[in-house]
Amino acid sequence: MSYYDIDSILTDAEKIPCTFQIDIPDLGYLDNTPTQSLKAGTRVNLPLWLAEMLAIANTGDAEGKSFVTFDLPPALGNDVVQALKADPRAVPLRDQSAHFYGLGTHMMELSEEKELAAVLRKTFVTRASEVALHARKVGGVGHRGKGAAEEGSNLGVGGAGEEFLRGLDEWERKLFRKAHDGAKSGKEWMEGIKKN
Amino acid sequence: MPMYGDLGNKLVQHAKRTQNLAHLPPYQTELVRGVTREVRDLDKDVASLLEPFQGSFDPSADQATACTLLVNHLSMRRNKRCLLAYHRTRTDKLAELVWSGSDVLDLAGHQAGGANGAPAADAGASSSLSPQEEDYFRQYGDLLAAYKGQWTDIDLTGSLEPPRDLFIDVRVLKDAGEIQTEYGAINLTKNSQFYVRQGDVERLIAQGYLQKLG
Repeated sequence: MSYYDIDSILTDAEKIPCTFQIDIPDLGYLDNTPTQSLKAGTRVNLPLWLAEMLAIANTGDAEGKSFVTFDLPPALGNDVVQALKADPRAVPLRDQSAHFYGLGTHMMELSEEKELAAVLRKTFVTRASEVALHARKVGGVGHRGKGAAEEGSNLGVGGAGEEFLRGLDEWERKLFRKAHDGAKSGKEWMEGIKKN
Repeated sequence: MPMYGDLGNKLVQHAKRTQNLAHLPPYQTELVRGVTREVRDLDKDVASLLEPFQGSFDPSADQATACTLLVNHLSMRRNKRCLLAYHRTRTDKLAELVWSGSDVLDLAGHQAGGANGAPAADAGASSSLSPQEEDYFRQYGDLLAAYKGQWTDIDLTGSLEPPRDLFIDVRVLKDAGEIQTEYGAINLTKNSQFYVRQGDVERLIAQGYLQKLG
């Protein structure tokens, strides 16, 4: 994840629920009330780039508490985790977050979530093989699925898998595109050989 | 509710779209200006927050101010990252365009006409590059030319596809004047056809002067 990485920057914009631990007069605007002070205990959704440092930074008092505490975002909440445990392939991750895994990795850097880590790992492995399966179906019909409308991507979506492929998060999409392009170039190369 | 960093995020979303495009979309002058304005405002806030302390600010004595300062600082840092990433995405793309030999400045050339009239509107319509990007493009092109000049018998920007035949048929789409080849000079006038060595005309094909036949 480089400093200039666009996806990493967009992942940092994902919001997580935070609770402020002290009163802060000047930050009312974060809670949509610019004229009032932000009271301790106020819950605000903050982007990761802000929440992360506020949670790590020390207020400097004796107890060593931080400015905010945070919870897991709904995208990684219990409902989603249970659904992933049941069948990773049945959950459209994109509806939870376009940068689902990025968000998960970030959260695990901030707090220890052993179970979540295990679930995410299993989710990715299961879904990756499914992604690979769809990516191999190259040159089939329906080359312009509905996915193509979004961000000008040319996902080779064909019929049955469309639903699943629409639910891919950014990382999985990249994987799909790589696998798809690889299979396609391989095929083209083989055909080129035969011609000569 | 608009928040610090929102504009920067929009800029990065533009960059994301740019990555998947073959061409370079228009430079987001307004957004870039908006983000830099935000940074200046934040910096002013920080200065006025710190002013009463006369350089002896103790974060543990005034936690609320410390937190506000941190939020301001992080917002500025975030904006900086968004700005840099946006521009880097575009310069990467420009470098790519230089290597592939496309003539972006051809487009930009039309801009000169509107320069004395209403520049802002005209420039936006005819060139998708900011003036600085045009400079970058030109100078990168010069650098590449100088670099390539070190090897006379190999074309670094030539096609990586091994040719099937050394010679090909081409049709001339635009007058391209006279070119020198190993076998003498050829005068490329519109609509004529030639049987030439591929290596000699590759650039002209890429630039759209010639069309490869068959």
